[in-house]
Amino acid sequence: MFLAPDGDEVAIASAAAEFLADAMPIDRLHGADGGDMGAPLRQSLGEMGWFALALPENQGGSGLSAVEHVLFFREVGRQCGPVDVLAQSLAAMVATDDTMRAAILSGEAGVALAVNDGAGLRLLGSPDATYALHVSREQARLLSITDIVAPARPALDPATSMRVAEGAAQAPVAETTGEHVWRMGELGAAAMLVGIAEAALDLIVDYAKVRETFGRKIGAYQAVRHPCADMALRAEAARCQLWYAAAAIKEERGDAAVHLDAAKHLANQAAIANADTNIQLHGGIGVTDEHHAHLMLKHALVLGKLFGSKRTLLGRLVNSKVED
Amino acid sequence: MDLQYSDADRAFRERARSWLATAVPREPRPAHGAAAAQFDRDWQRKQYEHGWAGVAWPKEFGGLGLTGLQQVIWYEELARARAPHYINTTYIALMHAGPTLIARGTEEQKAFHLPKILSGEALWCQGFSEPNAGSDLASLKTRGRVEGDAIFVNGSKMWTTDAKYADYQELLIRTDPASERHKGLTWLIGDMKAPGIDIKPIRTMLQDEHVNLVFYDEVRIPLADVVGEVNKGWSTALSTLSFERGLGFIGDQLDLYERVCRAIDLAGKVRLETGKLAIEDDGIAQKLASLKADALAIRSMTLAHITESDRTGDPGPKGSLMKLIVTATHKGLSETVGEMLGWDFLEFDGDRSTHPWTYDYLWSWVFTISGGTSEIQREITADRLLELPRAR
Repeated sequence: MFLAPDGDEVAIASAAAEFLADAMPIDRLHGADGGDMGAPLRQSLGEMGWFALALPENQGGSGLSAVEHVLFFREVGRQCGPVDVLAQSLAAMVATDDTMRAAILSGEAGVALAVNDGAGLRLLGSPDATYALHVSREQARLLSITDIVAPARPALDPATSMRVAEGAAQAPVAETTGEHVWRMGELGAAAMLVGIAEAALDLIVDYAKVRETFGRKIGAYQAVRHPCADMALRAEAARCQLWYAAAAIKEERGDAAVHLDAAKHLANQAAIANADTNIQLHGGIGVTDEHHAHLMLKHALVLGKLFGSKRTLLGRLVNSKVED
Repeated sequence: MDLQYSDADRAFRERARSWLATAVPREPRPAHGAAAAQFDRDWQRKQYEHGWAGVAWPKEFGGLGLTGLQQVIWYEELARARAPHYINTTYIALMHAGPTLIARGTEEQKAFHLPKILSGEALWCQGFSEPNAGSDLASLKTRGRVEGDAIFVNGSKMWTTDAKYADYQELLIRTDPASERHKGLTWLIGDMKAPGIDIKPIRTMLQDEHVNLVFYDEVRIPLADVVGEVNKGWSTALSTLSFERGLGFIGDQLDLYERVCRAIDLAGKVRLETGKLAIEDDGIAQKLASLKADALAIRSMTLAHITESDRTGDPGPKGSLMKLIVTATHKGLSETVGEMLGWDFLEFDGDRSTHPWTYDYLWSWVFTISGGTSEIQREITADRLLELPRAR
């Protein structure tokens, strides 16, 4: 029993942090190009093998586990990384054809995430995506979207382009049954949310050490210190539960789903509440477009709806029990 | 990162579970008073005699010399077996005084006191807070005058839990009259039977008298009972407080989960004024589910902290986060059950065994105030974990 990153896990997490801070920094969301992943970024992530982390070796993956998966996506979250990164990793688990899988893993073919929206599908991610991945608890389907009509919708979150597909759904080009892809998606989204909760805490703690009002650093005021402590608690609770859920999935425990639902719920709460508090404690500067604070909130709102929103998670949790 | 318990951990759990299955007292704990203290002593003595006391205490002092993780396993099994709650009259002795003596006591102090603590022979109380020194502990004024081989204590302590039943006291006083704040304090082992001690109970909103005012009039305490050094008691006191925050809630993590599950079972039986079962009410169902997630997170936090501190040997500054989440979850659970129970929740005779939910609701303020209020825990988190600028 060791419930914290250890040994090689620490090395993978810091390699991911370093790579992403350079290739996909949150600052990119202030630029003219916006937040879409685009082919160059996708291919550089692919080259480094980040989409293949938790894929079995016999499918061209690194053969690592749910634990490395969450360590990577926590770092993606810290940079408000696009949901495409998650879609791409999960799609590689769904592809049945070697050529298709190789194109996804290398980043040559892009994958958007498709979610139910009324009777149709909403697509989240780069407009140049070749595929869309639709995941439910029962199955995961990969759809070709090169020929569909999907007008863009104005997106609140600069990190997530949105389109709504018109017309009937197409036959999938690949599909798998079972809950594995959903669980890796739920874990990945929870990890990204934990990353946001932590990044929001870091931002305000740094600011509270330098910003002064009434002749004192704002970090010396209890009106600022106490909400910061609450942010630290939310991040800590969500992070520890995320570790537990990831290890439970890695070890195929019977009650892994309960721990996962709890982890996603706590991550939803922590990311949204911490992003909110971070804006408030920054004061006026916190609502400006040039600041990162609003990006974290907007991305948390999107991730909070993916792979289990508050209502569905709580509905499942009330009736579920952990083993031993 | 892994959840695999070692063979030794699993074997320990099995042995604990099978012993507890028959050993846990069947009769309910008396609600208050001397009968409750005697019940706690008897249960502690039984654990000691069967070799279960002091799981993570060093062997040389009568403990089992096992790991922090095995200590967690022991508390999990206590909760599972519905054993008497570990926060009782033995708490200060086992969770504060014992660990403080192990860390800072002399060989004589350890040899004399630790076996008595483990066996339930000696109960302890805490003499830190005063009428004008609670959250701001360092402003305490109770004086000690060093004369020859003894210290003579004059002053008063407040909120002293179970003072009437305690044999000894962790006593923090000011021995340097010219000193201020954290300097000039001394940590003493006070004998509660010593002449000059007068105990006045304080009746609380729980309709009980578990806390007291304690007055000291020329109470003589031998210098041999100083823990640490004279005038350097703050450092010893910080050890005591770090044990309280680090270990103090170790037993709650599984207990809280079990209590949330009991509340959910209850919600399937009681009807609200709308006629609906409580569990059919979205508001209540969501609160209960959210509390369950919090209880699971508390367990994960405990395991994360204990496995890390087993490895590094340092409990770190996260104990305050633990106290914040445990006490908030405790309170949230009581409030939610209160919403479900209607008029029944408003019946109370002071007895936890007959009115457990109302009792725990009232107790929730004891939880969020004692041992450092939630506000002080946030201050400690801001200082030591986040390293924010200090205002104090």
